[in-house]
Amino acid sequence: MSDQIREKRIGIVGVVLIAIFLTMVCRLWYLQVANGEEFRQVASANHYRIVQSEAPRGRILDTNGVVLVDNRIARSIVVERLELKDEKLKKKVIQQLSIVLGVDRKTIETRIADQRVSQYKPVPVAIDVDIDKIQYIKEHQEDFPGVDAIPLPIRRYPQGNIAPHVLGYVGEIFEDELEANKGDDYQIGDTIGKSGVELAYEKYLRGTPSTSKVEVDRNGSVIRTVKYTPPIPGDDLVLSIDATTQKVAEESLAGQIEQTRKQQDKSDKAKFSTFKAPSGSITLLDPNTGLVRAMASYPTYDPEAFVGGISTTDYQALNAPDSGFPLNNWATQGQYAPGSTFKLISSIAGLKSGIITTNSTFNDTGSLKVSDVEFFNAGKQVNGTITLPTALTVSSDTFFYNIGSKLWSLQRKKNPEGDAIQNTAREFGFGKPTGIPIGNESKGRIADQEWKKRIHEADPVNFPYAEWLPGENVFAAIGQGDNLATPIQLATAYSAFLNGGKVLQPQLVQEIRKFDKKGKYKSTLIKVKVNNTVTVDPNYIATIKQGFAGVVSSDKGTAHSVFAGWPGNITVGGKTGTAEVQGKQDTSLFVGFSPVDNPQYVAVSVVEQAGFGAATAAPIVRRTLEGAYGLPLSNFGYVTVSDGGAR
Amino acid sequence: MAGSFAKARKQMLSKEWKYVDVVLLGAVGALSLLGCIMVYSASKTRAVSQGLSSTYYLERQVGFLIIGVVLMTLVMLFDYRKMRDLSPLLYIGIIGSLCLVLVPGIGSSSNGTQGWFALPGGFQLQPSEFSKFFLIICLASYISQHEQFHFGPLVKTLIVGVIPVGLVLLQPDLGTAMVMVVVLISVLCVAGTRGRYLVLMALFGFVSVIGVLQIGVLKQYQINRLTVFLNQGNGTEASKESAGSAYNLDQSKTAIGNGGVFGKGIFKGEQTKLAYVPEQHTDFIFTAIGEELGFVGSVTVIGLFAIVAWRIWRISRAAPDSTGTFICIGIVSMFVFHVFENIGMTMGIMPITGIPLPFMSYGGSSTLLMFMAIGLVNNVYIHRFE
Repeated sequence: MSDQIREKRIGIVGVVLIAIFLTMVCRLWYLQVANGEEFRQVASANHYRIVQSEAPRGRILDTNGVVLVDNRIARSIVVERLELKDEKLKKKVIQQLSIVLGVDRKTIETRIADQRVSQYKPVPVAIDVDIDKIQYIKEHQEDFPGVDAIPLPIRRYPQGNIAPHVLGYVGEIFEDELEANKGDDYQIGDTIGKSGVELAYEKYLRGTPSTSKVEVDRNGSVIRTVKYTPPIPGDDLVLSIDATTQKVAEESLAGQIEQTRKQQDKSDKAKFSTFKAPSGSITLLDPNTGLVRAMASYPTYDPEAFVGGISTTDYQALNAPDSGFPLNNWATQGQYAPGSTFKLISSIAGLKSGIITTNSTFNDTGSLKVSDVEFFNAGKQVNGTITLPTALTVSSDTFFYNIGSKLWSLQRKKNPEGDAIQNTAREFGFGKPTGIPIGNESKGRIADQEWKKRIHEADPVNFPYAEWLPGENVFAAIGQGDNLATPIQLATAYSAFLNGGKVLQPQLVQEIRKFDKKGKYKSTLIKVKVNNTVTVDPNYIATIKQGFAGVVSSDKGTAHSVFAGWPGNITVGGKTGTAEVQGKQDTSLFVGFSPVDNPQYVAVSVVEQAGFGAATAAPIVRRTLEGAYGLPLSNFGYVTVSDGGAR
Repeated sequence: MAGSFAKARKQMLSKEWKYVDVVLLGAVGALSLLGCIMVYSASKTRAVSQGLSSTYYLERQVGFLIIGVVLMTLVMLFDYRKMRDLSPLLYIGIIGSLCLVLVPGIGSSSNGTQGWFALPGGFQLQPSEFSKFFLIICLASYISQHEQFHFGPLVKTLIVGVIPVGLVLLQPDLGTAMVMVVVLISVLCVAGTRGRYLVLMALFGFVSVIGVLQIGVLKQYQINRLTVFLNQGNGTEASKESAGSAYNLDQSKTAIGNGGVFGKGIFKGEQTKLAYVPEQHTDFIFTAIGEELGFVGSVTVIGLFAIVAWRIWRISRAAPDSTGTFICIGIVSMFVFHVFENIGMTMGIMPITGIPLPFMSYGGSSTLLMFMAIGLVNNVYIHRFE
């Protein structure tokens, strides 16, 4: 073997060694310098976890400070999952818990298995557990490793079930809500407002959760808490609702509906059927501020049922087709043909467009012929020569057919004045949500030439005509046809009429109270919000008001008999409405306001399939106003009105 | 006292001591001291969680270092040429101990490998570690007897080398087997084996590794450990879902990457402190180095290893005879393979095997072996002018 070869081979070994060391340095450079930042982030995510706990939710008070919703401490059984890593042990503990708590084993299993809940946070498996069950578990703690009893704040309703549709209910956050509130650090298992004020004011009520930044080791065991930020409790809300009036409103609505359901629907003579009256609402509003004083919807539900989670069967019952949908707030979600209550808009439209004047007369012969079609008054009643106030008081349809028909002639001539009814409705806030902060508000509909064209284009088979027909404008003038309004829209429109033209955003909350660490609070008062300002000649307002006052005070007034016995020193005005609905019994509507000269209250009641406006809706309004004024409450009774006189 | 000092002084001035490679010993010393610090940093949490004093592992490591230095000195002073004459005996010793450790009851097993003798005091001796050292002496002695290194001697040398490799594989200790194969090939290369035989051997080695993975000597998790570096992700995913080995590798790389350029500072590594990396005071000590000392510190450590390798390589050329040269080549290849395999596995470029980082990983057998190896190299160096 030559030394030369050996030298060469040793040289090769040297080169290989150099290559090896360079390789290591390169890889090191790649990991530490080139990608160091990335690894740093991974490492940090490795070591720290943020554990978040909900803050006590804010309370909800009525306008006088009566607590309607607060929290109570419920003893709850929680499971610390890190201690149940052993599958056999876990099974045993679940089995035991299921027996002691009387909860299905599957239910506990799914709750514990939910990997979406932070594993550093104990999972509640049973809320509001009897003290003796907790004592049993505490006494046998060795059989229940990882099981603990902790106080969890849950919703309580100290006044019982009151204004559930306004307050709304809370529940465990759903996947889609989690997605929708992405930036707000919600976690699975958190409570969130699902409806009503609880939903609309979620960000105030929720407060700020406490956070603990904990350092964890490889096995996920918490080494220490790096930083703890205490929770900030949610803000208290002061509603504009008066609990006493609210209670009266709820009773009046439910009681009157019960009465109505016993009555025979006389317009349906052949079948001798009674009124179905499946659902309805009453809203009491301060027309000057837009503050809601009472709002009730029927049928109702108990938000208490949602505390600690509602069972599937109970939830399904609340959403069954024949349930009348108790979770819906019909005052803001219900959309109805407004019937004669819409004559407020037709009157203003007629005056503004010059078709009528404040003292022009019209001969109501009981019907009006428009392009060979005869349109009749309800019950074919003949009212003779009348002016606008009388037309409103007696609810003459023909008077308004005339306005609708004349406006249609202008529409045909492409005169923009012709759209006066639709434009006025729009100005008064119909066709779009009022913005009442309660969630899920319906927007109603204004049927106009453009709408007609649009639906025809979208569905030419079911809507064969793109053309705006004279009958459509004639019917629009009396609140029939395709216009739809929500009760809250009616309330805001009448408020605007009464307060000098301010179309207000209705408010349920008048004040938000933010607490500091010392328990003192800072108030934020909710400001009056004007959506739109309408200019109406004061003469017009006075004339129309005269008509509305007559509805109650005049012998001929459609709601005169409803207010029999009403104290003379408190004036009331209003308008009845009886809307025909294809395939259903008539919708009963009434808009009332009081006092007439300087109104403090606007009340709107709408009950579906309940006959004349004066028969069902007007008595609800009367009784609710009695509640608001602190008057003795009248008895329930179906007000029998002769056909034609009560539209 | 005075007498013993005078004696030591006399010894210092004696020929043997004057010709010691100071640079080599300095680098080894620096690595050992740094190793102690890193062992402490990486083990104190673990020690406390095991109910031990936080310096438990550090104290033991210092003890291993002292024994290592003593053994190194002994190996240094016992002329390697006398060892050469004893090599048949050493070889029998290697084979004997490797067979003995496989016998249940005599040898004990840990992590699925039957490779330890339990000693009194809780210490364990790993014969495969020492067999590497003695095998190098045996191979060097055997090869240097042949002036012309042709086919016959090559086959005989291969047989001599492959028997201990096979025994180690039976434990199974793939890491040590790999080291032995690397040593064998390196020594045969320098011995002048024809290129084509070397290529054949390398191919054979590669095929055997595949074979070992296939025939089922190894348990699935051991195979996973070995192969995980071949199918890692982009290097930054540390998901719990990834299988155990992949998770460990991710954590290891994350720790090193987390160090960045200047490191988190000694005792301040988050991954290290929180014990995210398994075996971080032993096989994965480099993750602590990477995280706490950063790129600058890690390159310094690699630089110190490079100095050690360079000095040994340099001595191989200065050796007075071919036995000395082969010893140095064997040792440098063993040493560098240890370093590369160990650091490489923590960085995800080599399979995960239980090969400790020389002078730095906590552990008796490995520390003693490396000191003995350095002693042997110095032994050759001392005699370079003869």
